[in-house]
Amino acid sequence: MRVFALFAALSLSGAAFAADLRPMKDPAQIAKVFPAAARVRVVNVWATWCAPCVAEMADLRAVDAAFGSELAFAGVSLDDMIPGTKPEQVKAFLDKQKVSWPNVYFTGSPDALGDHYGFDGQIPLTILYDANGRELWRTQGTIKKDDMIARVREILRRNK
Amino acid sequence: MKKMLAVALILVAGSLFAAELEVGAKAPAFSLVNAVDGKTIDMKPDDGFTKVVIFTCNQCPYAQAFEPRIIEIVNKWNGKGVRFYAIDPNDETRYPEESLAGMKKRAEEKGYPLPYLKDADSSVAKAYGARVTPHVFVVDGGGIVRYRGYVDDQADPAKRQTTALTDALGALTNGRDVANASTRAFGCSIKWKT
Repeated sequence: MRVFALFAALSLSGAAFAADLRPMKDPAQIAKVFPAAARVRVVNVWATWCAPCVAEMADLRAVDAAFGSELAFAGVSLDDMIPGTKPEQVKAFLDKQKVSWPNVYFTGSPDALGDHYGFDGQIPLTILYDANGRELWRTQGTIKKDDMIARVREILRRNK
Repeated sequence: MKKMLAVALILVAGSLFAAELEVGAKAPAFSLVNAVDGKTIDMKPDDGFTKVVIFTCNQCPYAQAFEPRIIEIVNKWNGKGVRFYAIDPNDETRYPEESLAGMKKRAEEKGYPLPYLKDADSSVAKAYGARVTPHVFVVDGGGIVRYRGYVDDQADPAKRQTTALTDALGALTNGRDVANASTRAFGCSIKWKT
């Protein structure tokens, strides 16, 4: 029994982290990755080739960890814009970073994505939405962790 | 005093986040050092030539992905009334690859057929309102911006739907208006000299 428990514990601790990465071409489908229960939804547009995007991952994880199921993230990776990039490379990055929220491996037109989110092509881009898809706030460039946590708290408080 | 401080802050913010030059705006002149030979190159907006100003850099993978395409375009249009300027506006103190030596190395390795100029204080990028690398501006012979945005919509030739820069050059060198004169430049954010 003890041997079994030790084996189980080792298996759990050594279990490989498996990030959720979904190829997607149509920007309009991205919002469908959010769970219905989430009252505030965060879209983060990023790429592994974008240094500020990589630098802010730890802060995004901290924001995610500060809330429960009322907040949900979806990442949108633009790595496919670099010819020769494979989704496996992005998944390996997400695994290493232990990013627990779903990510979209965007394979569609950058112009269409820019039109969909109404941004000028500069990433990272982070947008907060309510459950009805209404935009509440956005920031272009790296987030400020404490500001974003305070903002989400305020939105949740106001929309009980 | 408070009012003065507020005005100063607005001016600082304005200089940091200058708007992208509009199509139809007057392009600013610049005088920058070419990393390849150390000589200063003057861009005079109303010199009679069509000019392509490309903000790019060494370390951005997206800019690197467009490098072969830019070289192809320069080779096609050089000597046909078009002048090209690649400009690196990134801060070399934080990103040593972006130094004059790093730029010279890359230009020589890749066989750049255009000058590779250092915008050491990022002031030219700010004057044009460039945001990312690569970010392109086409200026006509009279010094007016006639195209701004990306090289193509995709770096991967197999996925390309729009060849906006070459379309703009084709139009301008044939005396026509540019149909798709403003596109959305994607890329790495410029690493501003602060």
